[in-house]
Amino acid sequence: MKKKVLSLLLSTAMVASLAACGSETAPADTTATETAPADTATEAAPADTAAAEDYTLETLNIVVDGTVTATVESGQKEFEEQWEAAVAEKLGHPVDLVINQLDHSDYAGTVSRLLTTGEPGDGSYPDALIMSATMLRQYQTTGLLWDMADAYANAEFQSRVTLPTVNENMKDSEGHLYGFAPTYGNGCVTYVKQSWLDAVGMKADDIKTFDDYYAMLKAFTENDPDGNGSAGTYGVIAAGFGKLDEAPYINYMPEFWQGAYPSFYQKDGVWVDGFQEQATVDALARLAQGVADGVIDPDTEDAGTKQAREKFFSNDQTTSEGVFTYWAGTWLRTLTTNMEKQEVDNDLGDNRLVQLAPIQEIKDTWGGYLNREAPVWVITDDQDGNSAREQAIFDALLETMLDGDRVQTLWTYGAEDVHWSIHAEEFSTNADDPEKKKDYSYEEGQFHLKQSPNDPNSVWKKNHLDAVLVIAPLTNGYVDNDELVQAGNKFFTENCVDAPAAASCDTLAENNEALVEEKTTLMKQAVAGEITPEEAIAQYQADFGDIAQQILDELNAQ
Amino acid sequence: MSKKQNVTTTSTGAPINQKPLGTRIWNNRGYYLMFLPVLVFVIIIYYWPMLGVRYAFYQYKLKNITWVGLKNFETMFGKKEFWSAFTNTLQISITKLLITTFTSVLVSVFLNEMHNLFAKKSLQTIIYLPHFMSWAVVAAIFQLFLSTSSTGFVNETLKSMGLIAKSIDFLHSKQLWRPIFYIINIWKETGWGTVIFLATLSGINPELYEAADIDGASRLQKIWYVTVPALMNTVIIVLILNLAKVLNLFESVFVLYNNRVFDVSDVISTYVYRQTFLTAIPDYGYTTAVGLFKSIVGCVLVLVCNWASKKIRGRGII
Repeated sequence: MKKKVLSLLLSTAMVASLAACGSETAPADTTATETAPADTATEAAPADTAAAEDYTLETLNIVVDGTVTATVESGQKEFEEQWEAAVAEKLGHPVDLVINQLDHSDYAGTVSRLLTTGEPGDGSYPDALIMSATMLRQYQTTGLLWDMADAYANAEFQSRVTLPTVNENMKDSEGHLYGFAPTYGNGCVTYVKQSWLDAVGMKADDIKTFDDYYAMLKAFTENDPDGNGSAGTYGVIAAGFGKLDEAPYINYMPEFWQGAYPSFYQKDGVWVDGFQEQATVDALARLAQGVADGVIDPDTEDAGTKQAREKFFSNDQTTSEGVFTYWAGTWLRTLTTNMEKQEVDNDLGDNRLVQLAPIQEIKDTWGGYLNREAPVWVITDDQDGNSAREQAIFDALLETMLDGDRVQTLWTYGAEDVHWSIHAEEFSTNADDPEKKKDYSYEEGQFHLKQSPNDPNSVWKKNHLDAVLVIAPLTNGYVDNDELVQAGNKFFTENCVDAPAAASCDTLAENNEALVEEKTTLMKQAVAGEITPEEAIAQYQADFGDIAQQILDELNAQ
Repeated sequence: MSKKQNVTTTSTGAPINQKPLGTRIWNNRGYYLMFLPVLVFVIIIYYWPMLGVRYAFYQYKLKNITWVGLKNFETMFGKKEFWSAFTNTLQISITKLLITTFTSVLVSVFLNEMHNLFAKKSLQTIIYLPHFMSWAVVAAIFQLFLSTSSTGFVNETLKSMGLIAKSIDFLHSKQLWRPIFYIINIWKETGWGTVIFLATLSGINPELYEAADIDGASRLQKIWYVTVPALMNTVIIVLILNLAKVLNLFESVFVLYNNRVFDVSDVISTYVYRQTFLTAIPDYGYTTAVGLFKSIVGCVLVLVCNWASKKIRGRGII
């Protein structure tokens, strides 16, 4: 008995001691809910500049997604070294840049865990990070992000900004700016394989309406465009019928969605739930018809972007597709280069893909392809009551990012003599293959992109910033003259409109994932023909009708 | 009146003088010192993380941690997604357990009846192999195998035989997902499941078969009246031991399910995973509450199985 009592006491003591240790965090954390860091930052703004001068930023931890293409395998070390050298020269003191590049596909989840578990100042907590517009809307009310409105207004690059509306539109209703977009958003255009058009006797210029578009898809599916004598091809592939977790949701299959927008958006100044609109019912019906007719590749349902594009330019065209809607500009070059690598339509050179103008139904509703809200850089707020640290981060990272010269070049093209150079040189891609070999020759002082560090058979394209999309252009004259990229950007600019602004309110933030999951499930069931589009919307209304109405009430009350 | 002695007895009933615990620890301090690192390790690795269960009573989003009492449990019990996941877990796990146990017994008996040692060993090795493949690889193989595209072996074969006109989307069908899931589990785990049954079969007294021969029993009668009864105790023990683990269903479902079949495939672990890792700003308090509920149900199952084990084989599993 004595032994049992003793063991019980020992166990109790152990649990109590552990609980005592563990409970330290909870009360401390709880107080965080009472903090209003955004207001604090605003109030402290007048003293910020002076405070920033007192604060010396020694290490800059940034978290980035796949849009920083100078990865660890592709010269990131050299990029960091050159950035540190350039910034040290500008600021007058060294800053150690630490890049934490996360898996692009699980970026939002990993960022959430980093911001939950870390604290400013520890090694893994980001000082600044990239966020999509949707993420920004979710985080800007949490108090974790710094309001950079004043810093942005006073930035040195303001005198060179050519697209001021991009960041003005990022501000919330009270004028706070929690995310800074160095470029405008860009969007997707529909690419069609020229060889397939030729094979079925069609011309891209004749595709003007959805009926024309659908007839083209049917021809690609049924008329043996790959010329192998048997079926197996499809009209179109995409990364999902609709990507309902990422604005602007419809941009991978715009011809099918047309005027539908399966989320909350402002229509004539009033917030509406687009998923409940007739336009969504019609879009689901079109998608279901496309699947039933076999013109949409069934892999679309579960494909990610990588899988979809790799199937599109695959070496095996017998199960490929003729149409793929993807990002404009640089991606036109990337898709073309990949087709070249896979030896697809080698006789067509840079004319492998033709860009399809928006069909009439898109023009009549949106006005063109959707230009998404730009991804942004955010700075984390350490909630210490002043903005010295945050201003220092802004100065080191964002102010220099658009300096028009050395640092902006690093963010635009990568590291000098690794990704680009101004020194005379000659190189060849596919040097071992006489048929595919391409020679490049540059004179001393001539800006040019070099061979990719991780692929000697292709030429480097860009780093994080797109020179054409940036809000304050380079002033050093370093321009990549890739005609295909320029043509792609020009085409998109001429055929795009801004996507609706993302919605943001408490109830939406609380229920967003459940809504996305429900809508995605119902969309897939409707497209597969398991339920009708009307039943899908009815089910959504039954499950989330009240919550959707509450969200609309909150949004319209803002 | 004699004072009660602090004594312990040995198995033979002989008394042992019991010294105070402190004295015994001091006398064996070398051993206790050796045990100390293990104790510290156990506390840090197993017990320290358990403190996290307190977040089941908090709302825990990013850095905002607010005491909410039992609200997370109220939310959980009010969500149809949770109940769907809970019932799916029980249904899928128990059905899978019964099916794989049955097939393992069947294959074990079949292997036991094989007299060609080479064929027997070869077959054993072949059916063991899938167990060593990761679920990710298994899922990739079956997705390719069952694909609706022209590369899908099953659909193309059925079409070429004229049995179907249009490809069947096996893994996206609410009606077919579970049967396919069970078939894949049978393929992967039956071989490994036979190990314990084959060991039991090898221990059956040959005299029982000889006696059955003398009585004129046929081969099937020997299986039914000798082999199967000899296996039953092991079958029940295997079922009981595995019943305690039925809630631990994640990887096999995770790699094979998709939005369209959530209604029939989503289990508690995948539900918690989505709520925790696929949500932009997850409420760790809510997901901890779901995890805690699962642990409590699992604990009850273990205790029930322990009780059943004591009843059937005379000793518990814990």
